[in-house]
Amino acid sequence: MKRHLLLTSFMLSALGCGGSSQSPEAKPSEPQPPVVTLPGQPNDGLAPLSSSTPDNNEHLAGGAVTTDVQNEDAFSQSAPAIRSDFALDAVFKSGDHLFRGTHKGLGPVFNNPTCQGCHIKDGRGEVPSSPQRAMTSMFLRISDENGQPDAVYGDQLQTFGTVAGHPTGALPKFNGALDEGLAYGEAYAFVEYENITGKFADGEEYELRKPIYKVTDLSYGPFNDTVRFSARVSPAIFGSGLLHAIPEQYITSYADPDDVDNDGISGRAVYVTEPISEQTKLARFGYKLGTASVLQQIAGAYRGDMGVTNRINQAEPCTENQVACNEQAALEQNSEANGLDLSDLDLAQVEFYNRLLAVPARRGFDVQTSTWQDDVKHGRALFFDANCNGCHVPRHKTGEAPASLLGDVDILGFTGESTPIAALSEQVIYPYSDLLLHDMGGECAPIKLENAQGGSCQVGENCIYVKRCEGLADNRPEGQASGTEWRTTPLWGLGLVQQVNARATYLHDGRARTISEAILWHGGEAEKAKQAYLAMSKTERSQLLAFLNSL
Amino acid sequence: MKKIANFALSSLCVAMLAACSGDDGKDGADGAPGASGESGVSTYVTEKDVVVTNAQHAYAVYADSLIAAKQLKNVIEQFVAEPSEANFSAAKNAWLDAREPYGQSEVYRFREGPIDNLTRDDNGNPVLVAEEGPEGAINAWPLAEALIDYTIDMDGAQLPENPASLPVGGNIIADLAEFPDITKALLAEQFERGDDEANVTSGYHAIEFLLWGQDLNADGSYTPNRDYSAGYRKVNDYYTAASGMGECTSGVDNVVDSVICERRGDYLIAAADLLIDDLQGVVDAWTPGSGFHYVEFTKDENVKASLAKILEGMGRLSFGELAGERMSIALRTDSQEDEHSCFSDNTHRDIFLNAKGIQNAFNGAYQRMDGETLEGASIYDLLVVDGSHELANELRAAIEDTMAKAAVIDTNAKLGYSFDVQIQNADLKQPVTHTIEALKSQTQVIKQAIEALEVTTGDLEQDTDEFGS
Repeated sequence: MKRHLLLTSFMLSALGCGGSSQSPEAKPSEPQPPVVTLPGQPNDGLAPLSSSTPDNNEHLAGGAVTTDVQNEDAFSQSAPAIRSDFALDAVFKSGDHLFRGTHKGLGPVFNNPTCQGCHIKDGRGEVPSSPQRAMTSMFLRISDENGQPDAVYGDQLQTFGTVAGHPTGALPKFNGALDEGLAYGEAYAFVEYENITGKFADGEEYELRKPIYKVTDLSYGPFNDTVRFSARVSPAIFGSGLLHAIPEQYITSYADPDDVDNDGISGRAVYVTEPISEQTKLARFGYKLGTASVLQQIAGAYRGDMGVTNRINQAEPCTENQVACNEQAALEQNSEANGLDLSDLDLAQVEFYNRLLAVPARRGFDVQTSTWQDDVKHGRALFFDANCNGCHVPRHKTGEAPASLLGDVDILGFTGESTPIAALSEQVIYPYSDLLLHDMGGECAPIKLENAQGGSCQVGENCIYVKRCEGLADNRPEGQASGTEWRTTPLWGLGLVQQVNARATYLHDGRARTISEAILWHGGEAEKAKQAYLAMSKTERSQLLAFLNSL
Repeated sequence: MKKIANFALSSLCVAMLAACSGDDGKDGADGAPGASGESGVSTYVTEKDVVVTNAQHAYAVYADSLIAAKQLKNVIEQFVAEPSEANFSAAKNAWLDAREPYGQSEVYRFREGPIDNLTRDDNGNPVLVAEEGPEGAINAWPLAEALIDYTIDMDGAQLPENPASLPVGGNIIADLAEFPDITKALLAEQFERGDDEANVTSGYHAIEFLLWGQDLNADGSYTPNRDYSAGYRKVNDYYTAASGMGECTSGVDNVVDSVICERRGDYLIAAADLLIDDLQGVVDAWTPGSGFHYVEFTKDENVKASLAKILEGMGRLSFGELAGERMSIALRTDSQEDEHSCFSDNTHRDIFLNAKGIQNAFNGAYQRMDGETLEGASIYDLLVVDGSHELANELRAAIEDTMAKAAVIDTNAKLGYSFDVQIQNADLKQPVTHTIEALKSQTQVIKQAIEALEVTTGDLEQDTDEFGS
């Protein structure tokens, strides 16, 4: 029955196949992306997934790059293939050390001094426990209404600055950078929640917390008049090497930008220029699909989150209008070639570390008897029935995992070679994402200036920028993504998120305290799937959640 | 007993048959009574003998670490009660002494053993669970010194700790409101505060920081170029009202309330106490005859896997940990934070002793703190018995080469050029690079030994498979 349904939907997809592969916003001068064949059915040689019968090795979420560790270090394990290879283990370990540690050249402004401080135990960051605690593993992206960086603050609010006498980083101070010429943090952002309630079809009530983002203590003067914010909690990073190794055409086969199959789900591929190679590549990382590779992603984080310049992002995170920031930057003793803070070797080792972090094995599967727990299996069928898999595509197959663009590294330097990473290649994996952009609905009111009591405010120290949105929208276009579009988040490891960090929450800005709340925030292309969840019986809901927790 | 011997012999025969076809000249290999072995090595050395020797030496080296830690705590208690210069020196010396056996224990890491994996199950029984062991609490570094005690902001050039995870009141010792009592339970609870692995609050390096303080220059100024001197903490940091030695300080000329010095002393004692607890668990697990891990490790059916663990620990310590994390990163980033024992400037001993531990494991030898030498069946012997005479000598030579080169780092430090000075000085960098290269060569030969002895380190993860049961 379910198999039949699945087959039918594949046939519909086949009928609807229209070769509509070109990203509408791709620049004409750039090479055209590959042509899509058969939406939803990549030509990867794998039999179609069944909604009722899991694949044979579906519990090995990362294929051979799967770890059995299930405790708070579940996201911090290396791929088994390199564990016993002393040379690769050493590179991984060096990358891990660099990931945990501070770097010379931090700042002038930063969100956190270490990678690990944001990606807590290689997992998600968290929302501060109160408005009085600064954001340190989340931050606000900012721009004008067109998604262009703010003329003064750039594209990210850094909460801390490097000012003498502030050994742990200087928090923002209203007009502090202007009045004192010191590189204070840029502005202080915090979140307050409003409770909203709703009901499942069976009458059970639920409560969600709607975030209201507020920004105060602007150190460098006011934002642009049409400023837009978007809050981001640091995502988990394990498995990213596998995602990077999925051939582009397998991912784009799921794209359906004009929804020609009329299932309410489109899915848009976007392309960006890969650093170093300067080639146009499919974007697959970032909440709004801004980067094509792990290397590009971490190089951006070094510069944006830590103020650590590197080969790919060579400028400090100061705009030309931030005099204090630039003056402090001039004092930095850049120790690497070309006046950079980070060496290529450090960058390459951290890239290797990120790429080779293993994916936790699924729970709910008995290896001895090769059987799944009933509720997990039922929940999986419900997931398919609700077409959650329309975006959270369960399975992919990796191709040959490309060598680092920086070259192969060992502990002392580059070897001069450039070798594909065998451990990540040709793996059947279960990330539960199509890595495409989807419209998730919602809308935002224009950002207002308010005083602490919520009254209107024109200018000055007591004015707070306040952003209120309905649904998941952030109303801030970024790159080729609109203010309502987001990349489908991979769901692997979902059930271990709070095992790794008990204070972690869900969704891009951490508003959802539970997986159920996260589902209930879905809208736009996911509206139908959410409605299906709302209509489920209590038993079905618990089965679906059992399945999601097994991921 | 007889059964065990039979098993060992037959497994040896199988291993030899598989390893070398035809006449290999090892007539004694069949085990004829009294037959002479190769190169003076008894033909009766079995894999089990090597594993048992290694387990016994694990017990000895961890027991020595425990004895030294208890001695350290005694000396610290005397110092805190009477914070004289002499007692301060005695405490520092006790810390340095405690590092000697512990440095040699690190070869017992990276092999799913108690140091990395020991924890307790719901019934309070010791069990091994991946990554749950006490190693981090004992020896993690770099330290979150700003979370523990005052630090000096060195011209804004010092890198901050993670601001997310610091207490509102600055640091644990200064924050009377959040941490009214400093106990070993508090230290354990604050370890990896906020799940941030950088927040190390216990173990050898916490004690080291509380004894030496930050490694400023000899004159207490901070410049990027470091000198031969170690940390800059003055004994006044421990002057309490009760001791009557003088006014309590948090750094030179910074007089603070006596309670801060009392709390600093509490922290020091609590950290030493916690170290003893953590080491005790590891010693218990390795106790010959009764320790649960000793029993498991030396069981006949586990011998092959245990041999793999020994070699895996040697290989991973050689390259990833020692050559990579502890030496290469410190060398190329010239970062004091990345120097293992940065407060005491004792990193040269860490390097030498880690390498020595690998040599101990290979030679089946360990010299205890009291001077007694323990010797038993070695991997060298096993390789010879296995017919890999050349490989046995090659590995011996590779390890000796590493020791010779590590000895130069050690000697240079004793001549006044501490490791942090060595990694900044073009001439002194050479021995560091040479040691890294020697460790690299040594690792490659260890890999050959793994192949020759037909053990697979890749299977180790299965041992801790908690999934699906």
